[in-house]
Amino acid sequence: MIAERTTKPSTEPLTPAVSTSTRRSRIRVERALAYVGLTICAVIFIFPLFWLLVSAFKTPSQIFANPPVWMPHPLSTGNFTELWREANPLRAFVNSVVISAGSVFLTLFLCSLAGYAFAKFPEAPGHKWLYGFVLGTMMIPSAVTLIPSFLVLVKLHWVNTYLAMIVPGAVGAFGIFWMRQYIAAHVPDDLIAAARIDGCGEFGIYLRVVLPIVRPALAALGIMQLIGSWNNLMWAFVVLRTKDMFTLPIVIYLLQGEMRTPYGMLMAGGLLTTLPLVIAFLIFQKQFIAGITAGAVKE
Amino acid sequence: MCLLTAAALALLTPGCTAVHGSVDPSTSAVPVNASVRGDVTVWSWNIAAKSLQSLTPQFEHDHAGTKVTVEMNGTNIQSRLLLALVAGVGAPDVTQFQFYEAPHYIATGTLADLTPVAKKYETMFPKAVWQNCTMNGKIYAIPWDVGPCALYYKRSVFAKYGVDPDKIRTWDDYIAAGQTIVKKSGGKTKMMTLGPNDIEDLFEVLLQQTGGQVFDDHGRIAVDSPQARKALSIIKRLRESGICSDVPAYGQEWLAGFSDTSVASYPGAVWLGGLMKDAMGDYKGRSTDWGVTRLPAVDAGGIRVADWGGSVLVIPAQCKNKAAAWAFIEYALCTREGQLAQYHKESLFPAFMPALKTKALDEGDPFFGGQPIGRLFATDIDKIPALNRTSNWTEAQGYLKQDLSHWAATGMTDPDVLGVVARKLSKRLDLALAPPNPQSWGHPTGHTSPVVSRHMPFDQVSSTQVLSPQNWGLGGLSWTTGPIGDRA
Amino acid sequence: MTTALADLRRYRQFYLFIAPFFILFAVFGLYPLLFSLYLSFVKWDGLTPMHWVGLGNFRRMLEDDLLWRSLQNTAIIGLLYVPPMMILAFAFAQLLNAQWLKFKAFYRAALFVPCVTPMVVIALVFSLIFSSEKGVLNYVLALLHLPSIGWLTSEQWSKVSVSILVVWRWTGYNMILMLAGLQGISPEYYEAADVDGAGAWHKMTRITLPLMRPTFRFCGLLSLLGTLYMFDEVFVLTKGGGPGTSSLNFGMYLFNLSFSDFKFGYASCVAYSVAIVVFIATLIVNRFNRDEDAAPKRGRLGRA
Repeated sequence: MIAERTTKPSTEPLTPAVSTSTRRSRIRVERALAYVGLTICAVIFIFPLFWLLVSAFKTPSQIFANPPVWMPHPLSTGNFTELWREANPLRAFVNSVVISAGSVFLTLFLCSLAGYAFAKFPEAPGHKWLYGFVLGTMMIPSAVTLIPSFLVLVKLHWVNTYLAMIVPGAVGAFGIFWMRQYIAAHVPDDLIAAARIDGCGEFGIYLRVVLPIVRPALAALGIMQLIGSWNNLMWAFVVLRTKDMFTLPIVIYLLQGEMRTPYGMLMAGGLLTTLPLVIAFLIFQKQFIAGITAGAVKE
Repeated sequence: MCLLTAAALALLTPGCTAVHGSVDPSTSAVPVNASVRGDVTVWSWNIAAKSLQSLTPQFEHDHAGTKVTVEMNGTNIQSRLLLALVAGVGAPDVTQFQFYEAPHYIATGTLADLTPVAKKYETMFPKAVWQNCTMNGKIYAIPWDVGPCALYYKRSVFAKYGVDPDKIRTWDDYIAAGQTIVKKSGGKTKMMTLGPNDIEDLFEVLLQQTGGQVFDDHGRIAVDSPQARKALSIIKRLRESGICSDVPAYGQEWLAGFSDTSVASYPGAVWLGGLMKDAMGDYKGRSTDWGVTRLPAVDAGGIRVADWGGSVLVIPAQCKNKAAAWAFIEYALCTREGQLAQYHKESLFPAFMPALKTKALDEGDPFFGGQPIGRLFATDIDKIPALNRTSNWTEAQGYLKQDLSHWAATGMTDPDVLGVVARKLSKRLDLALAPPNPQSWGHPTGHTSPVVSRHMPFDQVSSTQVLSPQNWGLGGLSWTTGPIGDRA
Repeated sequence: MTTALADLRRYRQFYLFIAPFFILFAVFGLYPLLFSLYLSFVKWDGLTPMHWVGLGNFRRMLEDDLLWRSLQNTAIIGLLYVPPMMILAFAFAQLLNAQWLKFKAFYRAALFVPCVTPMVVIALVFSLIFSSEKGVLNYVLALLHLPSIGWLTSEQWSKVSVSILVVWRWTGYNMILMLAGLQGISPEYYEAADVDGAGAWHKMTRITLPLMRPTFRFCGLLSLLGTLYMFDEVFVLTKGGGPGTSSLNFGMYLFNLSFSDFKFGYASCVAYSVAIVVFIATLIVNRFNRDEDAAPKRGRLGRA
């Protein structure tokens, strides 16, 4: 895979073919181009969010103005008042928060617990087989289990409840894999052994020894789960049935009518839905990316 | 692990009963003489929703303490409704269906039984639509509007080419007139539009006129019959005579055709007039060139009506406020006041026949040059022959559309196309083919009396009986005492 | 026997800690999996009685034009967005990995932030941007004297619009994965290549790309599954596959079958069949790759 490396010394001259100054200026040009390219791409990538932000404060006629209105002059809050009147965004926001928080908490707790178990109990019988089984379940596409999962919820009378949104996806194999890997790599066995000798119960060890160490991994997993849960559209569409239980994405989606699309309200609601996550990401950016990077490198 | 799965399986065994939140039959019927108050949520779409919204102020005024909200959100309405019905939660108090879908939903057993309060209205609706609303002698839906058919024609075009609309009495007359117009206009003016994708709609109209069926009284596939073949042969002749244009219906170009002389006539339902008025928005109360005459019959003296389109209103069984929900439906659909208000506001043609005895229908419609088209559409409305629609109707209709459109697009060469269609339907829907003798179906062939019960009228044969597991020899998945069915 | 029970007792915490996963999996994973398999052989709408059809659903799949159309659309959308996305992600990752780049945090954030946004909102914003008459994109095109495009109204362009949306959304994610992969390459390889006087191109093709193969494979697999089961984008941007069925992908088709037409039996059959085909395909690709990786290499660097 690596380039074939000859044992004899290279016959290429060690001095470059072009003069140093030309090379340096070429590098400077290349780097300038890279900066330009990156900046243009960054602008393009941010643009839709920018558009969302300004459109939320435009009047509907400004939204459809041609040529486009780049920055509305008096910032109009009409969309927000209309949204408050027509839908129930506060309730939807609360629903989203409750469901996401519950989902994140449950996932973090159960995955880290299972991850600890798989990482630090090598002598437990069946341990390898069970872990292999967990990994194997990652290969099941959710499309196959969708309909029966819904029917299970109907039978349990969980449709249109928070439980239906939180529980089914709570313990994913990926989360267990993620936590196990991090715990195995970062929690020293002797620390655990010492705590066991001290008579600390396993759950106590988990709480006092393991959890503090795996905070970065928890942050990363938590954020991934938060994003998935907050933004979820399909499962929410299937499982939530009355207006008082809708999450923000569903409220936004259902604002569209058959005769007209109220873009003003949609942009206002969209901003409300998007802003929390973007802010959370910007604050915890380092942990998240460090988490993914660290986890990948460790492999 | 195995223990867990077994436990889970035991708790959640599939198919013992339908999965939907179980419906207690004793509460699924609408209470009689209960007090009417509280909130009522109605799901509807389009102009139908608008017309209901216009009724709510009067209703709320008549019934103090009620509040009716008509939600006009048509996005994924079918999906949301079915999800609510399966889950047993989230369905509105009142919802609308296309009338041909009603049997499908009624068969699910998730709709409230309206018989105690609606039985008295049975004779006030045309049998053709009422039939779709009942099962096993119980009523689950109320017809809202009908789409009686007639022939719209451009007066000036007919006059120019010497065609007298009153002389067009049969489809043969129609074809002859069409050929005259096409010839004399040098091909610039066609008589009607009939693209391959629009064949199935006209086929249903002609089926009614010939007395054909897609399903017989026992729910068997009956689309290959002499009557149906006759109906299809009319379509074949229409297309082969060169009088049809292929412009797809309801598209931009088709709508634009109302304003020019590219097409001379349109066989259509009463709501086509509404479409025309919408498309020709600039007419502003002036009269246009359009007139209406009666639909051509298949044979001389045959029926000149058919039904195309229309909706029903139902109450899902999970509704917690059935008394108020029913009161609203009753007001909107079973009173002259309600039905006429909707006719005036949104041109929804009343299915409630007493509403037709009104002078409003005799008023001239300025759009049609002062012609009292309301009265024309109301003619013989009670004589519309009924098409048997089972719970499989929508699916069958989809296949029919595909197959007929394919047949039309490939030259209409197969003489046995209906036989092929029948066999395909039989296989896809897993239903038997009806025997070739139409007499055994208990349905009249083409004359004017409506479907009257004889040895096995449709609304006394539950589709669940026909489609129930016992008939397929599958005892395991038993549907024992569902809300509808074996108690018939 | 007694030792097993004693072990169980001794390690009861272990089993307790992993039990929640297995319980939830039994209820929401295994049972649905088995029930779905069963459903593949019946015809059912969730409300009326079930109806056994044996292989009928499978036969129906062969004649189902819409299914094949959706798979075809999925393939086209995949071909439209995966190469540009991979190239862009790789380019960004390379740049972000470079020593000399400043403002790394800003670029990284800007390119990654699309991944945290709710697709429903973004699709709505994009439908504004893609609007034929009033959209910003067509406005820019007009400024450049280019003809305006019916991004969402023409059958030819609806797939492109979906692809653009997906590239915008997921490039950042792939970029981070590739960045991780790049950071996993030991700098010693590059140093050795520098000693040989290898140019940038050589370093790229002989060191970087080969060592990134596992990362590329991983991203590729994620993209494949993502394209197949993509839902939000099609559901919101093109309103379920429109115009006509031009942007109907498999995920949307399956959803329609399941929760719009309520054909539970047939939908289960289709879902299962496609899942099995994808599974076998990934196994084959994995086996192929493993063989390739195992082939003896000449002159490998001894260390690291």
